[in-house]
Amino acid sequence: MPAVAARPRLRVGIVKMASCDGCQLTLLDLEDELLALASRFEIVEFPEASSLRSAGPYDVLLVEGSISTPDQAAEIVELRRQAKLLVTIGACASYGGIQALRNWSSHDVFRAAVYAHPEYVESLATATPVSEHVKVDAELHGCPISPEQLREVLVSVAVGRRPQIREESVCLECKRLGTVCVMVARGMPCLGPVTQSGCGALCPTFGRGCYGCFGPREQANAASLARTFELEGREGEEVSRLFAGFTGWAGPFRSVIGDFGGPPGMTSGATSPITATTATTATTEGAGDAG
Amino acid sequence: MVTDERMPYAPYPAPTGTAVAAPPIPVASPNGSGPWFLARANLGVLIDTLREDGRTVIGPKVMDGAVVYGEIRSVDELPAGIGDEQSPGHYGLTKGRHRRIFDYAVGPLSPKRWTFPPVVPLNVGRRDGKAVSFEPAPIDPPALAFLGVRACEVAALGIQDRVFLGGPYTDEDYRARRRNALVIAVNCTTAASTCFCTSMGTGPEVRGGYDIALTELDEGFLLRAGTPEGADLVARMPVRGADAGQLFRAAEAVGKVAATMGDPVPTSGLHDRLLAQFDSPRWAKIAERCLSCANCTMVCPTCFCSSVTQRSDLDGEVSTSERVWDFCFTAGFAKVAGGNFRSRPRDRYRQWLTHKFATWVDQFGTFGCVGCGRCIAWCPVGIDIRAELLAIAPPLAVWPETGRPRPVAATPGSYATARIVSVRNETADVTTLTLGDVDAAFLAGEFGQFAMVTVPAFPPVPISISRFGRDTIDLTIRAAGPATASIIGLGPRDEIGIRGPLGTSWPIERAMGHDVVIVTGGIGLAPLRPLLDGLLAQRDRFDSIRLYYGARTPADHLYREELRRWAARGDIDVQLTVDRSSPDWTGPVGVVTHLFDRATWDGSRSLAFVCGPERMMEATVEALEGRGLTPDRIFVTLERHMECGIGLCGHCQTGGLFVCRDGPVFSLTQLGGIFGREGI
Repeated sequence: MPAVAARPRLRVGIVKMASCDGCQLTLLDLEDELLALASRFEIVEFPEASSLRSAGPYDVLLVEGSISTPDQAAEIVELRRQAKLLVTIGACASYGGIQALRNWSSHDVFRAAVYAHPEYVESLATATPVSEHVKVDAELHGCPISPEQLREVLVSVAVGRRPQIREESVCLECKRLGTVCVMVARGMPCLGPVTQSGCGALCPTFGRGCYGCFGPREQANAASLARTFELEGREGEEVSRLFAGFTGWAGPFRSVIGDFGGPPGMTSGATSPITATTATTATTEGAGDAG
Repeated sequence: MVTDERMPYAPYPAPTGTAVAAPPIPVASPNGSGPWFLARANLGVLIDTLREDGRTVIGPKVMDGAVVYGEIRSVDELPAGIGDEQSPGHYGLTKGRHRRIFDYAVGPLSPKRWTFPPVVPLNVGRRDGKAVSFEPAPIDPPALAFLGVRACEVAALGIQDRVFLGGPYTDEDYRARRRNALVIAVNCTTAASTCFCTSMGTGPEVRGGYDIALTELDEGFLLRAGTPEGADLVARMPVRGADAGQLFRAAEAVGKVAATMGDPVPTSGLHDRLLAQFDSPRWAKIAERCLSCANCTMVCPTCFCSSVTQRSDLDGEVSTSERVWDFCFTAGFAKVAGGNFRSRPRDRYRQWLTHKFATWVDQFGTFGCVGCGRCIAWCPVGIDIRAELLAIAPPLAVWPETGRPRPVAATPGSYATARIVSVRNETADVTTLTLGDVDAAFLAGEFGQFAMVTVPAFPPVPISISRFGRDTIDLTIRAAGPATASIIGLGPRDEIGIRGPLGTSWPIERAMGHDVVIVTGGIGLAPLRPLLDGLLAQRDRFDSIRLYYGARTPADHLYREELRRWAARGDIDVQLTVDRSSPDWTGPVGVVTHLFDRATWDGSRSLAFVCGPERMMEATVEALEGRGLTPDRIFVTLERHMECGIGLCGHCQTGGLFVCRDGPVFSLTQLGGIFGREGI
């Protein structure tokens, strides 16, 4: 191994914004490979696992969480300057996460309802993906992310190639496993057909529909799937709720949520500025390809 | 199980695309291939025997709300009394007939999962200093026995055999899996609403490619062996000869299933119809619904595409490669460094559908679809491939809807009868008879087909069908000898004997979206008139249409009234000529090719249909080729001595062709060196 040992280790930082920490912990789930990883990567910033701190620079910076506060909005700009490669990890960092549901509602009304002294809470009116603030080199999806995909990104950086992450629907994972389609055979609503694979079709394999935590896949025709849910007798509010989960702020899902009346319980109160502007012009990347 | 090294390529006959009712099962002989009868209580013996032979039995069982294939260790695991209901986007289990094991239609899994598994290790690559090595994964598949596979699935295995083993390079993993697998098939006695094997010509009866074929009856199973391995296995079972009543009930049950399916996807001309619709707006319409989720391709028993993925260690020193199912609907499938060749879902759907029903034929000589209906039931948004095919590439309105029609009275000895409704003299020696009371098969005939016509005491003569009416057909007959003279001499209400429709037809579907040139002489217009009727009935589906028609004298032009009407339409260019003028003729005089020697059209986008005396056709072909038409786009008819009309009597052979069966319409490509050569 002399040749390998001679290579300098890559400096890796793991930071979080607004998030639950589950995605960072996925790194620790790579138990069998941690030692091997340590031979190629020097983890210099990982508050969840180590008290060692570093301000950078980083060869690879893994960012968890959405941008929810003014501080985070400023911090991410500085972190970007320190990072050669910035990789978002998880639904929050990549799509805004569950907290992005507030983007449909009035931030002030919420804050007043939850906190005794809302004036002490400094938060933004929206929770948004990192990519709305700085350039992102790669996004890992999922709530939480797939350890295998995280490994693949790290390996590809170490080896110097493109990460091999399949762009396909969850259905491919279901069918490769031989899982019977819960939507066709059991009438359950399932976002699998429009959701990026990577989870190993975890939910359908355990007999429930996919809730889209890996976010819309390339060319996701969420509108057609939503129409099918509706044709099968679901009310608009229910259809909207199905898409308004961990990745509801992602373009194709956001469009559907808008078309079906917004996320249930989120539309009362003053209209947030972002609902009035961004949502109506939401990117419809590939939605339907009807053009 | 396939033992012959040369044989796995096509153990199953290529789907013909012709709807065929299940033929009756012949009466049993006690030896040979059966049929035998296995009592219901003894089905377990079959499974036990297979397991004793060291085989893993893959058969039907209920899992997660569906009948799937999985390992069967005991007869109790089979889905007794289970049925299913399927419709676009829906699948559900129901109660089946009491104790019946095979009372469901196909579920989401097919034998593909075992012959072409979702993930197969390929190799381990290593880097050692400057050297690299690749160690292939061992190929050592288990010995399997597929129990309960249906006719469509057996046909699908045959199609994958062609894909993986039929070309110059073969898939050794597939070969090993296939060679190690015994096929115990079941004739369908039930069909789902999504089934259409009858259209694809693959079922519901298994017709080859099996070791044993079962038919389920209330009291048990009829068994038929298709290979020596199958016969050996049956010989170890507690069977007895099947009785005539059982044979009758089995045939009846399978026949009924065929009847319930009908022919929902007419495949006649489908290849050409579909490819002509490359720019159809319907593709975008489907893409509004299509999720490009690839479920259709994964449940399809013939889809064979895959990708190779690597998983490497952190140093890139060791990597394992796997082949995984991947399909034309996924984002990366047609991607290259510079972009994606099929970035839009509409492109991906078109790729899939045109492959299944057109380009697959070009590659492998069969459709890529067996009509199992899985892609319909398991599509999350319920896209029905049958409906899409009809919408994108509808059969031409006057095009027969049932594939190539089964001729009536096909054998030379038997004639149907028809009654002459009217008689019309076309020229001094040509007469058109309009026939009523004709069998429906004639009304469904194709443009260019012919009938064998006879009256007692005269030899039968082949006569082209010159018009398909609503309930009549026309025969235009020239008095060329005693037989034709005797037929022409008949009058209204007289009956004649008739067999047909026979032979090949003008491929009108290939002309869609193209310029059409029709060149004919004398009575040669008769077999072309149905084609003209078809073209003009759907005028907007073709570009320019030109008719060049020559005759000896002005009085020898057939259908003169219609020629005038066609010319007056303005959307078909009708050009007539004669060899010898007469006082009232003001048109051109000379051979027919002179008519377009002076024309300016370009033949590169044309299809030509030519019928006339052989000399005239030779000159025409030469002129057409001079205008840029290639041999595959020039169609001619050959005249030969025909007696039986079905390729059995040998009279009409020319080269390797039976003109009656393989013709009379041929492309020049088909004829190769035959055309224009004397003495063949």
